[in-house]
Amino acid sequence: MDNTAKRLLQRLVRRIPSQMLKTTLDKWSRLTAAQRQSMDYTESKWALTEKLLAICEENELTVKHIAELEMIHVIENPNLGMWYVFQLMDPQDDAHSVELTQFKEQFKSHLSELIRHVSIKIKKHTDEAVWIRIAWGDTFSRPNHLKPTYVVHYLQTPYVFLTSPTSKQKPLLSQALVLSTRYQAIKDANLSGRKLTAIRDLLMKQYLQVFPTKFPSPLAERNCVVSNLHIEKEQAGSAANRHQMACEAFGDGILPQLQSAVYKIQMLTQMLPCSLLMFHQLETKFRDHTNKTMTERDEPFKCVVKFASTNLLESLRHSASSGVASTPVTPLLSSVPLKGKNYFVITDNGPGPSSQMKPSQK
Amino acid sequence: MCALSEGVLSHLSLLEVQARSRKSRLQQQSRVMELKAKVEALKTQREQLKAQIQTHQVWGLMVAECDFRSLLACCNPLFFPALFYLLISSGGYDIIKTRKGKGACVSIATAYEDVFLDTFNLEIDLKPTVKINRHNIPPFIPLNNLAEQNNMQTDLRVFLDTLSQHLNAFAGRKQQLKLVKEKHKSVEVMESNVLCSLLVLLFTVPREKTAVLCTLDYTDHTRCLPTRVHLESEDKQLPDSPQWEKNCSLLMETPVHKALITMKKMGSIV
Repeated sequence: MDNTAKRLLQRLVRRIPSQMLKTTLDKWSRLTAAQRQSMDYTESKWALTEKLLAICEENELTVKHIAELEMIHVIENPNLGMWYVFQLMDPQDDAHSVELTQFKEQFKSHLSELIRHVSIKIKKHTDEAVWIRIAWGDTFSRPNHLKPTYVVHYLQTPYVFLTSPTSKQKPLLSQALVLSTRYQAIKDANLSGRKLTAIRDLLMKQYLQVFPTKFPSPLAERNCVVSNLHIEKEQAGSAANRHQMACEAFGDGILPQLQSAVYKIQMLTQMLPCSLLMFHQLETKFRDHTNKTMTERDEPFKCVVKFASTNLLESLRHSASSGVASTPVTPLLSSVPLKGKNYFVITDNGPGPSSQMKPSQK
Repeated sequence: MCALSEGVLSHLSLLEVQARSRKSRLQQQSRVMELKAKVEALKTQREQLKAQIQTHQVWGLMVAECDFRSLLACCNPLFFPALFYLLISSGGYDIIKTRKGKGACVSIATAYEDVFLDTFNLEIDLKPTVKINRHNIPPFIPLNNLAEQNNMQTDLRVFLDTLSQHLNAFAGRKQQLKLVKEKHKSVEVMESNVLCSLLVLLFTVPREKTAVLCTLDYTDHTRCLPTRVHLESEDKQLPDSPQWEKNCSLLMETPVHKALITMKKMGSIV
């Protein structure tokens, strides 16, 4: 095994928790029954790595095989790392009938044409997701398996999920994707997050959305400590109303976990107090109309507002239902689940689509 | 000191009670006036509704003679609101008004073989133009295309009918796939997709244990049955045999989970 393969294996064994190592190795099925039996998962990671390296040498496994193992691990744990969403645009007539074999062949052939040395592995998962692992090389160097890109796509949907695409790789990848899915263009969907399952559920509408109904049933009881019955009674009506509006804006039950929402504001200052007022109850010192420094500037005002949370949608819903953010929920916040985006550029013309590629997140 | 504050406080309480009872008397009077005005408004509304019913009865007579499509076309939510809601709900869709008549929320239920499946919702703006605001329809259903092709602006009911067809057919195909996986464990699902428009199954022939690969193409997304069935086998003669030609037509005409039951009974597959 060459050095890259060794390093990849070492990194993998470090990453995979010992309890999961056994199942992952079993799925890999590159070890004989005897070899699998000889692994003692109570040993230290270092010992396990040495053992595994020896076995792989014995079986004459190459970096490509180790890459398989990594892929199995990533597919089982899609909520680690950072995912970015891209959207395919303008389907051709036959886009809806693209099937797996055709897509695999086309993607591999197009990408190999665009870049000389590239290693592509495609695997279909049980939930209909097509997983692609790409190790990039160039005219002079072999594919670098230590910095792969993962791509996930559901056929017949316009969404593509990517990990860490560099600015050099993006156009090549975009080209190959567009050609093999029979669409005409691809753009940044301005949605990103750590959990693939969360952003996928958001875009595929796989969470509980709430719509106005004729007979609104009381939403599930919240466990709240009632401090004062009189206050509770007075506030019950408006609390229920806020809760309904919050749920209509963000959803009910468990919401897909997004970690942040970023609003990049570029406005001429006359509009400044209004634009910040759009965030309703959020405190900002620029609300002072008499503040001449802020209201009499020549250059446009630029700022970036970032909301961060372990579960952003849950937090926003709670702010709306508890009254921190006023209801009806401002479209700036409700646009996150409505449009399936968490990066917005707001100019004097109001919130518009971001035409640039998203800047790298800190 | 205590007695003094008690005196002051009790005096203040007395004053408060007096003020309150004065206010409540005033409030009671204004409340009565409010209620009287409400009664008048409700009476007017009752007369309006009576008039509308009469108009509908006239419309009802006219409908028999005129073209239903042109009726739908002139059923603008701004001009004939009651008729508009009637036409939508008579299609079996739940529709409710939102935002004081400026919007509506339509629910489309799906069912297959007498089992209720998912319900899909669309929140629509009616003014100034008909536009879809929010929905929970999955991205592989071409909602925008359907809206354009069916002139959602002028023919909302027709658009909803087409959408419902797509959704019900999708729900039906999805349900069939679920049943195949549950009830036919001897049949392996080799390939499927989120739209359930393609299904590749692996059959095993009893005795010889030959493998047969069956591809079901559902290119018409408004239907629950395939438009094409293709068989492949290691035994080249097998797909052309009379028994398998029969199975082919069976799969074209019967939902797949039911077709498999028949095929098992006939001994074609394990």
